[in-house]
Amino acid sequence: MTEPSRERTAEDEGNTRGTDVELVGDAVTINVARAALFAALIGAFSYVSFPNPVSPTPVTLQVLGVFLAGIFLGPIWGGTACVLYIVAGILGAPVFAGGAAGFGVLVGPTAGYLWSMPVAAFTVGMVVHGGFTPSDPKSNGPIRLVSAMVAGTVLIYATGVIGMMFTLDLALSEAFITGAVVLVPAEVLKIAAAVGIVRSDAITAS
Amino acid sequence: MLTYEPGSSIAHRLDPRSKLAVQIGIALAAFSHTTPRGLSFVTVLTGCILAVAALSPLAALQEIRYALPFLVAGPLLSMIVLRPPWLAPPAAIRPALASYRVLLVLLVSVAYVRTTRVRESRAAIQLVVPGRVGRLLGVGVSLVFRFLPVLIADLSRARVAMRARLGTERRLIDRMRIVATTGVRRAFGRADRLGTALRARCFAWNPTLPTLQLAPRDVPFLLLAVALITWSFV
Repeated sequence: MTEPSRERTAEDEGNTRGTDVELVGDAVTINVARAALFAALIGAFSYVSFPNPVSPTPVTLQVLGVFLAGIFLGPIWGGTACVLYIVAGILGAPVFAGGAAGFGVLVGPTAGYLWSMPVAAFTVGMVVHGGFTPSDPKSNGPIRLVSAMVAGTVLIYATGVIGMMFTLDLALSEAFITGAVVLVPAEVLKIAAAVGIVRSDAITAS
Repeated sequence: MLTYEPGSSIAHRLDPRSKLAVQIGIALAAFSHTTPRGLSFVTVLTGCILAVAALSPLAALQEIRYALPFLVAGPLLSMIVLRPPWLAPPAAIRPALASYRVLLVLLVSVAYVRTTRVRESRAAIQLVVPGRVGRLLGVGVSLVFRFLPVLIADLSRARVAMRARLGTERRLIDRMRIVATTGVRRAFGRADRLGTALRARCFAWNPTLPTLQLAPRDVPFLLLAVALITWSFV
């Protein structure tokens, strides 16, 4: 008689442990999914290169991905997407420029640009949405969008140049020539493209 | 594309935490001892690490080729002076050493990526970063690994379609807008489906992960990491 009751007790314990599963809330679930997909998109953008009209360095769309993360996901989840992008890259996802990966990239010549990405996405999100809560990005005028992205660009390139000065031991002028002069003109095109993307009707989810 | 490759080298069998510790140690040592003597020591260590990972230096260099132009441009620019004799090679020594230390750190990170499974790295993150933040990072990172090839395929299909419709004749802004719009639209579509699927499968904060255990073979590598980190602060 005692045997079956002991078995039931063990089963009950199993069920009790089953109820300990801590479910993630619906809003967080969808935001985690979006942040992860945006992080993968920023990584996929590093594989898309266009010939640069003003310099031999081809244009990739990673920075555009950072802007769009801030605009579409808001400051918190846009910043999270960039953090996920960097952590995935450190752990071996080939998401950095040229299909690179690994911890070394974070102290390499492009380190400054990478470190600034979460802050840039956060800043772009804050300026576009005027706070932590995401609103419909289409409701914003182009001036607000452009100023948000200009702030993001300044942040990314300032940190990128400082990173280059530190990692490659260059003077400010040398780092500025290597890391900003040849790359910034293409950013103007990306900002224009981003405004077009936000104001088009092709993207409905926000 | 730099990714994990299955193998039977010693590095493949090490705990990811000891490999991460050695990487951090090498980076700190290379940045704090950027002298010919310090870097020659780090070079020997890097050679040993590549050997432990059964990775040839040439294959590792091939993986970091994207960074080589930056590493070469720095010292070259520093050599140029705006008066005769126009070139001052001594000015390039410090930037050249700086470029070289970055090269060493990049080579070591190639060895890590080549020899470490994503699941192990994810478990290491969740042990290092505690609580919900660590779990969120773990889940997010494994989703990035899962969806990166899918989104790359989405973007390349968009480019093929654009090319077929003579989209290459359009202005650069339009081409970037078309490709990026497709990317964002697909990413949102996939994220919404993924969100629904995660909710349907009771997405929880406490999933089961592979257990990581430090083995005796990790001890010399952990000691090396501690020695390197200590050296970099001396």
